[in-house]
Amino acid sequence: MHVVVCVKQIPDPAVPGALNADHTLKREGKPILDESDSYGVEMALQLVDAAGGGEVTLISMAANEETAGLRTALAMGAAKAVLVSDPACAGSDALGTAKALAKAVERAGSVDLVLTATESSDGYTGTVPAQMAELLGWPALTFAKKVDIADGTVTIQRQTEAGYDTVQASLPALVSVTAGVVEPRYPSFKGIMAAKNKPVDICTAADLGLDGQLGWAGARQTITNVENAPARQAGEKFEDDGTGFEKVVSFLENLKVI
Amino acid sequence: MRFAFTEDQIALHDAVRDLLNDHSNAAQLREAWGNETGRTASAWGALHAMGAIDAMRAEADGGLGFNEVDAILIAEASGRVALAEPIIETMMVAAPLNLVTIGLSAAVVTHESPFAPWADTAEVIIELAADGIRSRHRQDTTLTPRSSVDGARRLFAVSPNTEVAPASTEVALAFRRGALGTAAQLCGLSETMITVTVAYAKERKQFGVPIGSFQAVKHHLANARTKLEFARPLVYRAAASLRDRDAEAGVHVSMAKAAASDAAMVAAKASLQCHGAIGYTTEADLHLYMKRAWALGGSWGDAAWHRRQITNHLERAPIGER
Repeated sequence: MHVVVCVKQIPDPAVPGALNADHTLKREGKPILDESDSYGVEMALQLVDAAGGGEVTLISMAANEETAGLRTALAMGAAKAVLVSDPACAGSDALGTAKALAKAVERAGSVDLVLTATESSDGYTGTVPAQMAELLGWPALTFAKKVDIADGTVTIQRQTEAGYDTVQASLPALVSVTAGVVEPRYPSFKGIMAAKNKPVDICTAADLGLDGQLGWAGARQTITNVENAPARQAGEKFEDDGTGFEKVVSFLENLKVI
Repeated sequence: MRFAFTEDQIALHDAVRDLLNDHSNAAQLREAWGNETGRTASAWGALHAMGAIDAMRAEADGGLGFNEVDAILIAEASGRVALAEPIIETMMVAAPLNLVTIGLSAAVVTHESPFAPWADTAEVIIELAADGIRSRHRQDTTLTPRSSVDGARRLFAVSPNTEVAPASTEVALAFRRGALGTAAQLCGLSETMITVTVAYAKERKQFGVPIGSFQAVKHHLANARTKLEFARPLVYRAAASLRDRDAEAGVHVSMAKAAASDAAMVAAKASLQCHGAIGYTTEADLHLYMKRAWALGGSWGDAAWHRRQITNHLERAPIGER
């Protein structure tokens, strides 16, 4: 079985983020693997193991030829990676990203399943997985908290507010997984040392036949302004005169928590 | 000569650091203080699965054949979290000489550290004696608990029940590796004590301002940081000397252990003072790191003992080379 996992290399969240004058995120410094993608990588490795063989390919997009984050996922056990890297990628909107990643999936060869996170930790649009599935012409199964593959079909438990729905589709398909679907493994020492010799196929927009369709040139979306999230309102304060618990109880009742 | 860590060595360190942040945080260390064994619930198994514990074992024996420089950042990372596991004893002393089976842990007694930490849960007890290294199953020894300032680091006096022949003659190498690894742990501990204290000095207010804005507090912490920054290169240098089997590796290890022990004592004292009264309580995380620093400062030869080795070395050297 051949599973492709979409992974994003993002600026380290531990470092304070900053924006460029054009409102895009500054992507200087060594990027790391988006933690939400580590669940997809682990899920893919487990599915390939359960299927009794096959391999995991990573696909990613970056404006420069950055591979630091990919190496982490390769160290976990992925076999190879396709990296769409072209200065022309800068400024891509979600649809542009989806086009590039969908083409990269085709470049990866015969693929049974594509796994993604539900959304990236630096962009949060959450629309790329469904857009990719549409471009590939494959079913999209989203918000999976459990994934099973059997007899050419994929079955997931789709997280809902009340519980989960069971959703099934034939392969090939695209599945977005939630954080917590599996516990990501730590890369082993052997994995880390092997990762640097694993192949990373770096391709440009032109290689994918997407000349002029990525980046600012291809974006249908413009960023007109960026504002800080509104500060959280101060809570209500009560002096406890011995009846404080009643206030807590009525507050929780209002929230319908109790 | 290139004197910097490779990308691989840094990546391996980062992986160990991330693992230890999950398996050996302050809350888990507190649990170890209170539990039966003094060891953490999951760190040892996770480190073993990662390949860290057997990294210095020869490839022919199932390890990765790492040298002392490859291992030093791992030792330092284990110190940063005051890891309550016999990692130096196993990873740096027993495994490289193949004195312990893969997956098991070792406790070590030496003339300079007569009480073995975590001996009651180690499968193998290693004795570094003048005439060679003896290795015994724990069952072939009698263990007597001894008190330690560090509640997680359980100490035992070991008396052997059986006579065994030395398994290795590499006593000096094994001792130097143990002292070196402990020096690296002390650097990690100093780093954590300074970090914890700097954070506290920014948070704690007195006279309406953070106490970190007072020069008297800043100077203490700057002194501690300076000591650490001077000790760390000595530790890395000693690791390189051991790797290269430099004829002066022994004196380099002594310089490293003396400087790292001193740095950790200065960091502990400055941290305690800058914390004020809260620093004396067991509720403050500082005590977890401070007490480990005190325990390790005196293990594998304290600063005075190692300085004496350096003096002896200088006195032995011909006048022209002094």
